[in-house]
Amino acid sequence: MTEVNYYCGTEHDLKRLFDAIRERGYRVIGPKVINGVIRLTELIDYSEFPRDVEDIQVPGSYRLVKGKFFRHGPDSPKKYLFPPKLLLFKVYNDWRIEVPEIEEEPIALFGIKPCDLSAIEAMDRVQGELGDPYYNTVRKNLLIIVENCVEPGDTCFCTTMGTGPVAKSGFDIAFTRVENYVVFEVDSELGTELLEGLNLKPLDPETRSKYVEIVREASSKAKADFAIEGLPEELELSLDSPVYKEITEKCLGCANCNMVCPTCFCFDVVDVPNLDGIAERVRVWDGCFSYNYAIVAGGHFRPDLWARYRHWLLHKFSYWLKQFGRFGCVGCGRCITWCPVGIDVRESIVKILSWVREHGEVS
Amino acid sequence: MVKLVSKFIPRVATIEKTVTETHNIKTIYLKVPRDFERPKPGQFNELYVRGAGEVPISISDITEEGLIAHTIRFVGTVTKMFTELEEGDKIGIRGPYGNGWPLSELKGKDVLIVAGGVGLAPLRSLIREIEQNRDLYGKLTILYGARTPRDLLYRYEYPRYEKIPNSELLVTVDRGDESWTGHVGVVTTLIPKVEINPENTIALVCGPEIMMRFTVKDLMARGLKENQIYLSLERRMRCGVGFCGHCQVGPLFVCTEGPVFPYETIKKYFWVNQI
Repeated sequence: MTEVNYYCGTEHDLKRLFDAIRERGYRVIGPKVINGVIRLTELIDYSEFPRDVEDIQVPGSYRLVKGKFFRHGPDSPKKYLFPPKLLLFKVYNDWRIEVPEIEEEPIALFGIKPCDLSAIEAMDRVQGELGDPYYNTVRKNLLIIVENCVEPGDTCFCTTMGTGPVAKSGFDIAFTRVENYVVFEVDSELGTELLEGLNLKPLDPETRSKYVEIVREASSKAKADFAIEGLPEELELSLDSPVYKEITEKCLGCANCNMVCPTCFCFDVVDVPNLDGIAERVRVWDGCFSYNYAIVAGGHFRPDLWARYRHWLLHKFSYWLKQFGRFGCVGCGRCITWCPVGIDVRESIVKILSWVREHGEVS
Repeated sequence: MVKLVSKFIPRVATIEKTVTETHNIKTIYLKVPRDFERPKPGQFNELYVRGAGEVPISISDITEEGLIAHTIRFVGTVTKMFTELEEGDKIGIRGPYGNGWPLSELKGKDVLIVAGGVGLAPLRSLIREIEQNRDLYGKLTILYGARTPRDLLYRYEYPRYEKIPNSELLVTVDRGDESWTGHVGVVTTLIPKVEINPENTIALVCGPEIMMRFTVKDLMARGLKENQIYLSLERRMRCGVGFCGHCQVGPLFVCTEGPVFPYETIKKYFWVNQI
């Protein structure tokens, strides 16, 4: 680490940073406790940023208790970059087509975790590269303040996926809580400018060594019982495996995992006819677990849940690499927590790998 | 303010002509805007019926006047809307999408077409291409099968196909009726009836997946190699531009990397149940 990129401050400096961002005209989106869940929403005041709470996440369960550190809730930055519902255009009776406009409002994501930063990098390769105008408009003016994860949760596996618990690059500012201090790191000109405005002192050697220790400790957590080296290739040897049927015995096909996933990008486009004769074409999130996903008139390509699960898992951990050059999973663990029956993708992968290793090079 | 000009905004096309092909299939001929890209055989367009939705439909012909033809079977919510659309009606169109048949690979080669049911539609514009540039291609063999005689597409064009020099057309039905005097049996039963030069033939296959699987087996038994067989796949496609996710076959996006694949590219996934 280069010394100049690191600064040391306190909780109060986080508030000053928050205010400085608001003063620059950003709409600040950050975590907030709503109905006992951490949601991403607009924050007007720094006091809304959750304190003294911890999210207890286990397969199929989420609850907030008193505590020191929280991870995340069901929302991810996808909600703001790739909204669940978006009007694409309107068609009038005379076939006039009206294309909507959006304001170029700068958005700051304040306090997202490194897994979600990685998810934005993943979306850059999909929505960004494919030229989604909404995504690129928001993305262009996006300010990203990451909070490094000093205490990954029980469903987290970002260390395994190489996306956390500490952000490496791609943010404007990353901060880390080190005892009573906050260590700030910058990775952009704008980030530097913002921090310079706060007149923070450079990171001192003592706090720095505490910081290094905290990072080391955090990085020893959030591990799954598999490694990503060779994983895509090995998983593809499971195409004919019966293990998917076993894994999905409990699966409800609800697509919660798709909806909470920060990288799932599939969508449907639906027609909304209005009484005045104007038809709206609306883009809505879709997921490969929904029954209609692979249906065509006169046939269904994936009628069974086990096949949909296989597609979902292989897409995240295998196909994504061929399509977009990286894993589609960031290890945030949301699909584990928010699965109503608690199907754990980490366990699934271990099961699949053990089947593959037992059955050798089946093709 | 930024206008959300996305790839999903259609152009407006006018239906110039409709042809009733069978009891549940019709062909519409579309007049498209002048700057609409000229499609290649085997590509498809997304057709939009206002207030109903969009469907990916292959291009079945491009006429001399530049009309783009789409042959539509009324099987789903949107395609059934086409029963009511007539000459003069407008629809939305986006495209052309997909790679189309490998025309450059076909040059100088014998072309063997194996089509089932409405699967003949994407091959019809290719037949016209071969007819119009006859010297560029070798022998043309068309094997076509449908369920019953009343399901056969483009019967009025068969005499024209038969007049194409150095060509052969064989038609079969799964079940005949009192008027049918031709061959009865699935389309693969026609394969033993034709001469195939495995050294110099490219096979183009389109039809139901089960039919394509048997066809691949039979063609390979006749000596064709994996890179000599091309298949056109069907999937749910909401966007056509490799984005919405629905059309994936393993890691392949059928809409952008296909819909036409050399068998060698998709063989790993082609036999996997519910891929």
